[in-house]
This record gives sequence, C-alpha cells and structure tokens, in this order.
Amino acid sequence: MGAEVIAISCDTQYVHLAWQKHEKMLQDVKYPMGADPTGNLSSLFGVYDEEKGIALRGTFIITPDGLLLNSEVNFFNMGRNIDELMRKFKANIHLAKKTNEGCPAKWKEEGDKTLTPSAAMVGKVFEALQ
Amino acid sequence: MHHEEEIDPMDAICCSIKVGQKVPDFTLTTYDPVKGDFGSFSFAEQKKAKKWTILFFYPADFTFV
Repeated sequence: MGAEVIAISCDTQYVHLAWQKHEKMLQDVKYPMGADPTGNLSSLFGVYDEEKGIALRGTFIITPDGLLLNSEVNFFNMGRNIDELMRKFKANIHLAKKTNEGCPAKWKEEGDKTLTPSAAMVGKVFEALQ
Repeated sequence: MHHEEEIDPMDAICCSIKVGQKVPDFTLTTYDPVKGDFGSFSFAEQKKAKKWTILFFYPADFTFV
C-alpha cells in the first residue's frame, strides 16, 4: 500500500534472524525487523520499559514528511488489531489527499462517508452523517 | 550536605515524541527476511523516497502474543 513497515524490538538483528527462520508463523514475513538493543528509539517513542529492557506494544504511523500522525500503545499482554491499523493507514492516505475533510469514527475504507467541517455544520453533525 | 540526584517524574512523561511532532532522523540495524541478510533502515532516506513509515514495536522475539 506504499508504506514501509518495520517491526522493532530490543533484540539484536541476530536474534531476529534466528526467530524468523525458526518460527513457522513468521515464514511469510517480508518487512525488515529492526534492532533497538540500546532502547534509544523505543525511548524516543515513549515505549521503552527501562526496568525490563523491552518495548511496549506501540504502533506509530509517520507521513512521508516525517510527521507523527498516529500512536497506539498497549501493555505487554494485549496484541494490536491489524484491521484497525489498516483502517487508520487508509484514512491517512485519504486525508492526505482531501485536506479539508475528516474521517468520522465509523469510517472504514475509501468511499465511506467523510465530513467536511464548516460553520454550517456546527451543531449539525448528525444530519451531515446521514 | 548530601544531594541526591532526583529524577523529575515529568521527565518520564515529557521527553518522548508526541503525535503532531516531526520525527527526528534515525537509523536502525535490521534483519531483512526477503534478502536473508542484515541491513540498515534510514529514516532520512525514507523521507527522500516520499514513503509513509509504520513503526511496530513489540517486546521480544521468541514470545507469544
């Protein structure tokens, strides 16, 4: 879809190699696996647990210009929903083209109803979403 | 008098990047499963190529969720 996905943990690149070759669930992985053993990048994004030396489950979507637009962080025991990540990414692509629009909570994909904020819409969002 | 260096609890909250801010350039050593080799990811290069980036942090290899 035109994005570079990188999966990052505080393991070294050697452990990534060993894991990807060993674990059958990873055999179709095509994206780079980043190594952050110092925790510096994880700290920059606020997901580094210093006590444990590992990263929380954080997903960050960054524009081609380098702007951070989305952040989702879960505690260690809860996985992230990939459908939701796709939804957010598609919404970002849409909004990058339609800079005067907003994607409401129920927006799922291109073609779904969006909102174009204006003075006329104030107090009338219900009608705008029909 | 003995001064203990106190860590301001606000530092733990304030020093990471927020949504809406520009991400500084960084590089990461990577393992590329497609090439089967180690490599390097450069955020500066990514911006030059005008691509979106999705960073997906997770706790540890060889674990479960």
